[in-house]
Amino acid sequence: MSEEAPLAGLTVLDISSFIAGPAAAATLADFGADVIKIEPPDGDPHRQNFRSVGYPQSAVNFPWQLDGRLKRSVTLDLKTDAGRGALDRLLDRADVAIVNFPIAVRERLRLRWEDLEPRHPRLVYCSLTGFGETGPERDRPGFDITAYFGRAGILDAARHEGGPPGVSLPAQGDRATAMTLVAAILMGLRRRDRTGRGGWVGTSLYANGAWANGTTLQGALVGAALPPRQPPDRPRNALANLYRTADDRWLQLLLVRDDRRWAAFCAAIERPDLENEPRFASREGRRANAIALGAELAALFRREPYDIWAARLGAAGLPFGVIGRVAEVVEDPQAEHAGLFTPTDNPEVPRVVNNPIRLGFATARRPGPPPALGEHTESVLGEAGFTAAEINGLRKAGALG
Amino acid sequence: MTALPLAGLKVLDISSFIAAPAAAVVLGDWGADVIKVEGPEGDPNRSIMHDSPSYPKAAVNYPWAMDSRNKRSLVLDLKQPAARAAFDRVLATADVLICNFPPPVREKLRLSYDDVREVNPRLIYASLTGYGEEGPDRDRPGFDATAYFARSGLFDAQRYEGGPPGTAVPAQGDRATSMGLVSSILLALMHRMKTGEGSWVGTSLLGNGLWSCGVVAQAALVGAFLPPRPPRDRPRTALGNLYRTADDRWLQLTIVREDKLWAPLCRALQRPELADDPRFAELAPRRKNSAALAAELARSFESRPYEHWRAALAAEDVTFGVISRPQDIPDDAQAVASGAIVATATPDVPRTLANPMRVSFATQRIAGPAPALGEHSAEVLREAGFGEAEIEALRASGGMR
Repeated sequence: MSEEAPLAGLTVLDISSFIAGPAAAATLADFGADVIKIEPPDGDPHRQNFRSVGYPQSAVNFPWQLDGRLKRSVTLDLKTDAGRGALDRLLDRADVAIVNFPIAVRERLRLRWEDLEPRHPRLVYCSLTGFGETGPERDRPGFDITAYFGRAGILDAARHEGGPPGVSLPAQGDRATAMTLVAAILMGLRRRDRTGRGGWVGTSLYANGAWANGTTLQGALVGAALPPRQPPDRPRNALANLYRTADDRWLQLLLVRDDRRWAAFCAAIERPDLENEPRFASREGRRANAIALGAELAALFRREPYDIWAARLGAAGLPFGVIGRVAEVVEDPQAEHAGLFTPTDNPEVPRVVNNPIRLGFATARRPGPPPALGEHTESVLGEAGFTAAEINGLRKAGALG
Repeated sequence: MTALPLAGLKVLDISSFIAAPAAAVVLGDWGADVIKVEGPEGDPNRSIMHDSPSYPKAAVNYPWAMDSRNKRSLVLDLKQPAARAAFDRVLATADVLICNFPPPVREKLRLSYDDVREVNPRLIYASLTGYGEEGPDRDRPGFDATAYFARSGLFDAQRYEGGPPGTAVPAQGDRATSMGLVSSILLALMHRMKTGEGSWVGTSLLGNGLWSCGVVAQAALVGAFLPPRPPRDRPRTALGNLYRTADDRWLQLTIVREDKLWAPLCRALQRPELADDPRFAELAPRRKNSAALAAELARSFESRPYEHWRAALAAEDVTFGVISRPQDIPDDAQAVASGAIVATATPDVPRTLANPMRVSFATQRIAGPAPALGEHSAEVLREAGFGEAEIEALRASGGMR
């Protein structure tokens, strides 16, 4: 792409920690924004997350590459007057600030939108909270597993009958929430383009979990009740179920339009006898006899390896999926075509997961290594008009950590 | 409050099911005029509550109400040349087209970006696919269970040791993906404001699944993998684990900053002896003895009901989450106070889920009823300049309903 990156010229202060806020900032950087990460003297704790026991263990700090890419790092101790004052001067030049401090901390640091608006009326202030800006639990710290998955009912709704609640992956809800933050920021920028005024935008992990669980929750809002999910050997719908194949893979069958595709399906699995079998011939029959149909299909799918089934179902244009293993996904040719990964200039982490937005008029920037803590403190302050003497003064005052 | 930020924007939602229509809902929430373009049979999402056994059943069609709120319905049989020509006239007046047909169908209907840009060069063409625009699987229909969860490796990475793959709630990945699509459309609007030109933008279910699974996928890119999740009685860390309470609720303990929260946790549990127990006092032995610690914690948590623990943990600022049941959410004060659940103007679906974006300068539109099939066909065509005779002719030919 020869055109200028769509967010070139935009300055973003990422005053957030961990993942959802920083991942939104990384996405803005992918499309050309100058993202400056404002970190406390001991750094964003996400710099240490790769040592977390829930993370795949690696000597390489891969999550920091993912979420710190294309950013510059400035350390400021916002608890000091000099550090807080320096932040105001950086905000003078910024278009967007992303903040995820709990509300009480924002009050203490004078970092609420109402604190910033008088001096920075053109700023788009983007807020992320765990549980929302108001209400009895607005001050609770929230993480994706608690606020997005647990509280929003996803883990409960995803459990198998009699089993424990479902599980989620590290930062799974954080990263989904990042897309909402990006949308909110762009909405704020659009408004500023039209009116000249900045504004507050934001979201919460809880709201995003509820949105993701929207179908089930909308059902609950009108009083519908959902029994727990049946295990794979007792499906409610045998045509939307998991089956193990001869080579111990799992095939996700998902015949949504089985009213139209039942005959094609029976042909594809070479069981034409099933098509007019009285128990299964109609949609109602297939639902009423889902366990029996599931048993037939389970026995069948176990007989051949996944590739055979994939070829047969694929040739018939029937929807199905393999339960992918991440080891395969990273070598998946389709992943390459879909632009899911993008190369970096950091030999230690040669590829990163791309953000999911695709544009006909621009591609995501190629990232280098993520910043060392405070790597750009002096250069960024210099750009904001600080003299060497002033920077030295800040350092002596302890404002730079 | 000023005018809604997307007021004046005309969006044609020619997509089906959930991810792409949900993106159109979000645009509509913020003021866009969303016209749902449907074939004579209508979007199959109109009947998904009945067709899918994994949907909670209710007397009202709540999924349709949610995914089509504030839209108008135009029915055109695009296989008929007169209807296809009529569509072009409507297209000429639109700002955004949201399309999720598989690529071969787009070609057949002349609905690729190259086809429509000739009709309307300022148009933003937002494309959603299951697996991306290129590559061996680009033509495969994708659903969220197959493309977002299964193919991305999410389901496999969620499984417990020896157990089947993880599960998701209906449309969970679709709704998360909708925010990626909204972000791409807003980027395109920004681009159009700068350059005057329309563009192609898009995203895929697979790309969004992998983005949300980014930590695990990024680890795989550097050769690191998560072992299958151990069961609850042998967790990797006892401080990030599920515990059952005396009243059969579940608590998700999520202590990330163990250094800070270990002592407060022991206080909250009224188990001061654990704090200095040599097996648990320091991080390394605590990890090594996580099964023994999990047994201790399970014993404590099982002794009192959820409400007790909620107060005790909150008093010590210990991060945790409840595994809410979907039926708990409608009455969750925090969900209402934070604006996640809002009132509608539709008596039979009196409340709905707001989309997760919040902005200070506007509030989302109140949801009206979802449209009946073809309810606004004549009205929309009139707005595009059709005369009554033309509309009648189109109706008589069966091209419009």
